[in-house]
Amino acid sequence: MRGSPHPPPGGRRHSAAAAVLLITLLGGCGLGPGPTPGGVRLTVTDDFGSRLIYAGARPRISGQDTVMRLLQRNASVTTRYGGGFVQSIDGRAGGQIGGRPIDWFYYVNGIEASVGAASTTLHAGDRIWWDRHDWGATMDTPAVVGSFPEPFARVDGGQPMPIRVECEQPAGAACQLVSARLGALGAHASRSSLGAGAAAPAVRVLVGRWQAVRADPTAAALERGPAASGVYLRPDRSGSTLTVLDAAGRAAGVLRTGSGLVAATRAGDAAPVWLISGTDSVGVSAAAGAFDERDLHGHFALALSGGRRLSVPEVGG
Amino acid sequence: MVAVVGQREAVPCRAAGHMRYRRRPTPLHAARAGAAASYCLALMACAVLFDSPLVLGALLLAVMLAARAARSGRELLRVLPYVGGLALTAAVLNPLFSHQGLTVIARLGHLPGVGEIDLTLEAVVFGAVAGLKLLVFTLAFALMGAAVDPDELLRAARRVSFRSALTASLATRMWTVLERDARRLAEAQRCRFDAFDPAAMTRRVRVSRGIGVVRAVATGALDRAVDVAATLELRGYAGAHRPPRRRRRWSRQDLAFAAGAAGIIAVAAASRAAGVGDFGAYPTLYLAAGVRELALAVALVTVALLPFTQRRGVQRGAGP
Repeated sequence: MRGSPHPPPGGRRHSAAAAVLLITLLGGCGLGPGPTPGGVRLTVTDDFGSRLIYAGARPRISGQDTVMRLLQRNASVTTRYGGGFVQSIDGRAGGQIGGRPIDWFYYVNGIEASVGAASTTLHAGDRIWWDRHDWGATMDTPAVVGSFPEPFARVDGGQPMPIRVECEQPAGAACQLVSARLGALGAHASRSSLGAGAAAPAVRVLVGRWQAVRADPTAAALERGPAASGVYLRPDRSGSTLTVLDAAGRAAGVLRTGSGLVAATRAGDAAPVWLISGTDSVGVSAAAGAFDERDLHGHFALALSGGRRLSVPEVGG
Repeated sequence: MVAVVGQREAVPCRAAGHMRYRRRPTPLHAARAGAAASYCLALMACAVLFDSPLVLGALLLAVMLAARAARSGRELLRVLPYVGGLALTAAVLNPLFSHQGLTVIARLGHLPGVGEIDLTLEAVVFGAVAGLKLLVFTLAFALMGAAVDPDELLRAARRVSFRSALTASLATRMWTVLERDARRLAEAQRCRFDAFDPAAMTRRVRVSRGIGVVRAVATGALDRAVDVAATLELRGYAGAHRPPRRRRRWSRQDLAFAAGAAGIIAVAAASRAAGVGDFGAYPTLYLAAGVRELALAVALVTVALLPFTQRRGVQRGAGP
């Protein structure tokens, strides 16, 4: 083939593959740290959000930082495994404490990260939440409500996602209140009855009594406990009681008539599903009323009963 | 052509391996193996103890000057391309795969399976320091290989662990035997007429050539085994027992290099305890570079070179 004006087909394929690899490599490359995303927030808490360690509306950030670099700029951090795994923040280390496994986890816009902090690049407006907690009951808490108004402004990766409010009573007060709160955020949410939504992927908000909401397979995972749903609150099949669990997954209290819950979960890599539910319409209304930043901030999930707001899981002390 | 296996060659062989002990008239060669090895090990330990590029630079200078004083600079220069290549690899790979450091100097984009590749100044410096550390450590080891009599060292080790010393002797001696065999075979192969005609090197010819080489190695194995056995007998392994202690008066070179080793370790340990020569790469660079670090660098080079001033009696005791 020496001197042939036409390269062999195999060579052409290799060139194409090399070009694709090069383009992939060069995507987002450049000298220096790159442009700095604005509006990033950082929160560091201990024990399922019960103790605040750091909260910064304007944390130090430089260029296209990763979540790890953001944390290291704003707190004293020790790492393991080549800098990819956080061992301690401000002296609070992971490991075995009191015989329980405890480690640091992070959430981007209310969604548990699936990759290491050193591999997650920040985007404008991202809310980063680091929490050290007991993972004996479950390693995965796929979604939390404490980063509200995220993920309704965006989903991890910076792309806005469609939002669908699915209600037991679409014309009911609770459904309208939730839609109005989302509208106030500038989010465009469609509304439908439970289970009638389009099959297109969307962040879904299910509003209704547990008896009705449990028909959704993702929501029904709550009945199987934190290992299945990541939520430390277990409604019973009839929807008449809500059992609040502690960090070890043990029952810490039972809520009955008039109780509500605001929780988020996720099935696999699908968009998160939020649950505004309760034992009855009173509980659902209470939950809808708590669907705002002031009430949800810093909670993994929230239970409401008799005018009280209970952080979930129940953390002693 | 055929050298007596394991015996020290009086005439330097041009094609000899890269690392070969040759007795030379220098204080380091004149010192007993234990003292000389301790001296080199102290330099290696120092390279492990410190991360500071200032201290590592001083140690590199000390090792190179010591090699020059021991007339083993050429041996070190021979291994330099290999060690330098390793050090360079460490320096280049670290920034590509390390996710640490806060000062991003370049963004290389996304690599599937690896993620975002951001080059940070801290990772570049850490990689360079790791390379320097590797360089100093390996050159100090090379100095030991070039200037410390391995037979004397193994003889001393035999008193502690007979079997381990025997294994080490076999390994070191077999390496040279195999090296010579390989060289002889390669030379013979190069001399064949069809080696100059690549077109004649068909697959069949290559296979038959390979079989010929294997046969040559296999048939020579018995001769080599006899050679090795004779060598081991000469080195005192005929009687399978611990050799008796050799009473030998400590020479001024023995004392100088033992004291030098102790001095290097003492200076290093005291400096570490006092926090002199601190260096940290992550998350941001930190390098202690003051008068204390300068004093440490000067002290290490001085203590490392002082034993070489003991030259009295060296010429008389030195061999070719």
